Amino acid sequence: MAAVQQNLSKMVSAQLRNKATEFLNSRKHANNLADILQMFEAETENYTPLLLTIEVIFTDLLKRGDLIQDVVPLKLIDCSPEAEYTKWLRECYETALTRTLECVKRGRTSSRLQALVTACKLMQAEGKHPLESSLGYFFPSVRLKNLFTVLLDSETLMSAPIARFQEFTEYRDVQQYGLKVLSTIAYKKSPTSIYMQNYLELLDKLLASEIPTETKIKFKDRDIDEKEEKILCGSENKAPFPYNPGVCRRYANRCWGFACQWPLCGESRTHRRALLLLVERLMPLLAKPHLATDMLCDSLDAGGPISMLALQGVLELVRRHNIDYPDMYDRLYAMFEPEMFATRYKKRLLHLADVFLSSTHLPEGLVAAFAKRVSRLALVAPPEDAAGLLQLLANLLHRHPALKRMICLDDTPALMSGDPYVMEETSAERARALGSSLWELRALRRHAAPPVAAAAAALLAAPRPADLAPPDQALFDAELKKRFKTIEMNFARPQGMHAQNVERLLQYWELMA
Amino acid sequence: MAKAKNKRNSKLADTVHAKRREKEINKKKLNPFEVHINREKIKVLGKKSKHDKGLPGVSRAKAIKKRKETLGTEMRLMNKTNTFIDRRIGEKNNHLSAEDRMVARFAAERARQHSKKSIYNLADDEILTHRGQTLEQIEKFDDPRSSDDENEDGGKFGGLDDDFVSEGHFGGGILSKTDLKDGAKSHKDLIEQLIAESKKRKAEKQKEKEQTLDLTEKLDNEWKDLQPVVFKKARVENESIIDKLLSQAEKKNQDYDKMMRELKFEKRGTPSDGLKTDEKQAKEEKEKMEQWERERQQRMLGDFELSAPAIQKSAGKHRSADDLDDNFELEDEKEFMLAYDKDGKPLVPEKILKDYSVPNAKPKFDDGISDTSSEDNDDDEDDNEEEEEDDSDDDEDDVKTEDESDNKSKTNGEENFTKDEMKRGKIGMNKNGLLHIKNSEDGDSDDNSNDEVESDDKESSQIETQKKKDQKLLQRESNSKGSSVDEESADQQEASKNFANNIKGKIVPKNRFEESSDGEDSDVEDNEQSEKEMIDDFKDLKESDEESEDEVMMKDVDEKISSFFDLKLAEGDNLKELLSEKTPSQQASALQKLIKSYDPSLAENNKELLSRLFAHLLQYINDLFIGLKNEGEIIKSFLIFDKLAPFFYDLSKTNKVSTKKFLVELIKEKHDNFKKRHRLVPDLDTLIFFKLVSLLYPTSDFRHPVTTPSLIFMSEILTNCRFNDAYSISRGLYITALILEYTVLSKRLVPSAINFLRGVLYLCANTSILYPVQVIPPFRFHKDVKILNLEHDCSTMEVESKMAAKDLVLKSIDNNFKIKCLLVSSTMLKEFFDNFNDLEAQQCIFEPHIRLLGRIDFELYPKKVVCIVTKIMQYMKESLEVKTYTPMTTEKHKPKALRLYEPDIQEIFTGSKSSKLSREEAERRRLKTKYKKEMKGALREIRRDKAYIASVKIKQKIQSDNIRREKVKQIYKEASIQQGELNKLKRTK
Repeated sequence: MAAVQQNLSKMVSAQLRNKATEFLNSRKHANNLADILQMFEAETENYTPLLLTIEVIFTDLLKRGDLIQDVVPLKLIDCSPEAEYTKWLRECYETALTRTLECVKRGRTSSRLQALVTACKLMQAEGKHPLESSLGYFFPSVRLKNLFTVLLDSETLMSAPIARFQEFTEYRDVQQYGLKVLSTIAYKKSPTSIYMQNYLELLDKLLASEIPTETKIKFKDRDIDEKEEKILCGSENKAPFPYNPGVCRRYANRCWGFACQWPLCGESRTHRRALLLLVERLMPLLAKPHLATDMLCDSLDAGGPISMLALQGVLELVRRHNIDYPDMYDRLYAMFEPEMFATRYKKRLLHLADVFLSSTHLPEGLVAAFAKRVSRLALVAPPEDAAGLLQLLANLLHRHPALKRMICLDDTPALMSGDPYVMEETSAERARALGSSLWELRALRRHAAPPVAAAAAALLAAPRPADLAPPDQALFDAELKKRFKTIEMNFARPQGMHAQNVERLLQYWELMA
Repeated sequence: MAKAKNKRNSKLADTVHAKRREKEINKKKLNPFEVHINREKIKVLGKKSKHDKGLPGVSRAKAIKKRKETLGTEMRLMNKTNTFIDRRIGEKNNHLSAEDRMVARFAAERARQHSKKSIYNLADDEILTHRGQTLEQIEKFDDPRSSDDENEDGGKFGGLDDDFVSEGHFGGGILSKTDLKDGAKSHKDLIEQLIAESKKRKAEKQKEKEQTLDLTEKLDNEWKDLQPVVFKKARVENESIIDKLLSQAEKKNQDYDKMMRELKFEKRGTPSDGLKTDEKQAKEEKEKMEQWERERQQRMLGDFELSAPAIQKSAGKHRSADDLDDNFELEDEKEFMLAYDKDGKPLVPEKILKDYSVPNAKPKFDDGISDTSSEDNDDDEDDNEEEEEDDSDDDEDDVKTEDESDNKSKTNGEENFTKDEMKRGKIGMNKNGLLHIKNSEDGDSDDNSNDEVESDDKESSQIETQKKKDQKLLQRESNSKGSSVDEESADQQEASKNFANNIKGKIVPKNRFEESSDGEDSDVEDNEQSEKEMIDDFKDLKESDEESEDEVMMKDVDEKISSFFDLKLAEGDNLKELLSEKTPSQQASALQKLIKSYDPSLAENNKELLSRLFAHLLQYINDLFIGLKNEGEIIKSFLIFDKLAPFFYDLSKTNKVSTKKFLVELIKEKHDNFKKRHRLVPDLDTLIFFKLVSLLYPTSDFRHPVTTPSLIFMSEILTNCRFNDAYSISRGLYITALILEYTVLSKRLVPSAINFLRGVLYLCANTSILYPVQVIPPFRFHKDVKILNLEHDCSTMEVESKMAAKDLVLKSIDNNFKIKCLLVSSTMLKEFFDNFNDLEAQQCIFEPHIRLLGRIDFELYPKKVVCIVTKIMQYMKESLEVKTYTPMTTEKHKPKALRLYEPDIQEIFTGSKSSKLSREEAERRRLKTKYKKEMKGALREIRRDKAYIASVKIKQKIQSDNIRREKVKQIYKEASIQQGELNKLKRTK
């Protein structure tokens, strides 16, 4: 069946190609265009060949200038067949565009993506060869607006097309006009969560290429001139596109301003995306970043990855914008829980903790509590994470020499009946970690994974700063790559499934009866 | 020179002389003018000096005397060839006086006179010789006839009668005459009688001699007649041998010689260790084991503990005397020069770059959130990509279709081929895969295109050829096992011929397998009923293991073994054929035979063959454990594995490297499969190999090429998978038991196993929302809670203490399973707990477990189980309570003292430099000085000898001059007398 369909689609695409060339070659075959547009209704799944054909036809037409209507003001509309034909072509162009945009919503994912690309290509062609002849720079904002309205659909998630759209946001003009268009259409009272997600994603993509801030511009004025900016709709003989970062920032601020009014924190996914957008992209662009403080502080309490992202935002505020946050360390402390191993943000958390705790003005007890907690977590962590935690611990011990007493006490050691450290205590400073020792490291020295054991042993010997970068490959592969001089074997030949001295499997399993 | 010759003796003599002289000196008063006192340069207390004074005159005289005796005589005899030897008796003996000397000489003369035995027999004492040999000797051996001539007449008086002699020589007296019968005989009669008698005796002797001669001749003749009879046999044999072929004869001769020599020289035992007694052997065995055990523990420690002191040792560089030992290094590290490459990146070693990296730099996280796609869309996107790829493939296919239609047969073959590979499961058989390809290439050119058509015809013929070849091979192997290399190439050719055939052969069993598995799927319900019967069957199977005696089968096995490695492609199938439909012990014996018949000592490439066998065995085990659906199958598979496991060990022992490679490849592939679906616990076809690894390799090593990856793999399974049904939990417990087995010796910490137990206990416990106990991923808080929690009262239920095979195929969790899970996991927990008795961190590791155990509704569980579990809980609690904590301290090392350089004190100061030198150098030095001394002494001696010789010569010269002068004077005197007389005469005239 599949083969038959394939053949069919191949035949169709070949046919379409023939039709398109015929149409472009002579006007005799003008009906071909109507046929092609008709075929959109027949098809339900795979629009790709149709879209490609349309793209070919109209790019060519735009290039030739066949679509340009000579509208002379104060004159009757020209009724010559030539003008009629042009008019008909224009109509066809519009219908083709609407069809294309419809296709973005429908059908197979590949064809949806193709529709998006086709729309953008046509937009590019129109920008280069505008319908009304003009000498200056022209950007078909209307087309972009139409496209955005489709992308900001309220029912379906558009993440795949939006992700594809990123390759166009690299163009400076698309970025600028996109932000502008987005800020005009964004206003909506009570959007659905899907709409919000689409919106946030689109904004995220629009901001993907960095918008230079003013300070940077002053510095790098010359560099920018030299650097070739990517312009979608520019052409050689036209005026260059006036890129204005300030305008971009203003639009971006406005876009964010709309989004701020929505209930972003309602659903966790939207919330996460919003935070990510804010932390990763928007923070340096915002005019008044401290307005985001409330949102970040609220998010801090949400727990899980959301609070982790919020924490990163707060860190940014604290570092750059002079905001004081009272019990930030306790919040960070609370994030070190066994559940963190299941999340994808553990590396981010480790990095954040490393930055947070790099201050040398922190009280010893606090850092000691962190050290203790990290080592406790390392006891239950998977080997890869345990290695990361040990690296963090090494950094802590290295930066805070007072913590040395946790691995080697200089005073005469007193016998204790229990570990003075209280794991359950939520406040890091009250966890009484300074009186404790990092006994966990001794256990980690006996870890089954050789790298972890070696790291723990090295830490016990002399803590030296470690790079928090994760290892290049998984532990399993790394172990397989190790070279050995000899291959040791058991010295006793097994008499069956029962291993001598060490048999445990059959001790707990009755497998042969 | 003379002195040097007998210096030793002279020394000894000197000392004796000196002693004697001392005595004499003490007695005699020394002439003070003759004494020379040697000045002492350095006075050493308590040292006796021998040379404080000397007697120059005396010693000079002594030296001269000695020279006179040695050099002087030598000089006198110079240029004289003959020597005068004095042989007079007692001439040199000083002890004899002249009188005694004379007496001795006279006695010797008399003795010589006396030795003549018969003065009357002439020439009797003379021994005649001919060419150095006495005639006697010559005649004795050459001519027996004349031998007895002189020997016979050993009589006292030359053969004359005693009567005759006494009468003839001493008779004649008056008294004796009267005794004569016929009166006094005349002298003439007497002489005649003497002559007659001697003649008669001669004749008698002659006659006797001739008789003996005849007798000896007769004896000789008789011997000659006998001779052929005695040597006849040997000669006949020799002739028959000559008739035979030369080569054979030589061989036999050699054999004969060999045997003869063997008989001749008794066989000597090879020198070897004495026969060991059992005791001794046991002791050696024990020592060996201990040695291995020590090595194992060494490896267990890992290199990081060993490497630390090694590094310190290696830093044995130059150290200045001012070094404070504070590890201050003075420009020791090479400074690097900052340079940039073409792209403007600094060319700096990485570690330096690391040092300069700032922690605050903005990092890039690849945790997925930076992407637009959210979690759920990941899969979609993947799909999209795949679709896109499909599309592009389609395009390519467009182009290819025409080509394809041409090569249809070829591609078909390839498809089959790939299918075949799929079926094999691609287990660590990269190598074989390559071989496949190679063979197919060989075969493609001539065979593959028309194989499809002719295969039917060929099949039958091939089977025949195959059979023939097997027989041939059997013969060849019995003849010579060395020539298998040639066979190998031949095999390859034939292998390519059989290629298509094989493919067909392989597809068939696959279909069969599918069918059977399908059947099983449908039969699941029936299985439960028939399971009991199955178990009975397996009991029979087990019993029949012991007395399996099908000899027909064994013969069959032999045939298969002999042709096992004939075809590389068919090895896997061969193995399957060999082992299928047999009881486990039969399989084992078949395998044993196979391995024995390809022992590495028998042929060169057997080792490689065996390593391939190892791979096939792995494949076999893999196939054995794939898709096991009921308890019976599982038990059977494990029984087979139990029997086959030792052979894995044997095979990997013979070829460590390649078997390790196979096993690692296998594990890697299993790991890749696992990564694709990392929430799903791998089935037994993966898990069984972990057991195999622990059987083959030491699990306690700090790092091991096989065990470490498999342990990591297992812990990854426990970390990533979801445990929410019987399937996953039972396998999780299986893995945990294996992890326990891996770490029981090294007592290593495997967090995932401990976390898993915690999770299982969490699932068992009656957890409430109010007092939560934390769990660790993959178990989730408030998810799948209580699936192992017992809800009904089962206190009277009988439960086995071990997990069983049926738990691995359990569809839904029942009470029995729940109870067993609790029991097994808590007993395992205890063992893990005991592993960390020496660690302070034990408490924080196991505290959650204890709390979870406390949440279990014990009243619902059977008494026995409750008893065990509460005991364990109690034990853990108590041992945690008595635990003491001492803050961690590192061993206090002493503050390093400044390095003091001690003075170089010598034990015995001799003042000589030689004491510092090495032994050889000192010896050399000693010999050198000795040589110098001797040289000096010798030179001095020579000088003195020369002076002596010169003095002697001048003396002789003076003497001869004096004589000459005397003679001249004499002549002058005589001449003047003559002149005077002449003058007197003249004057008188």
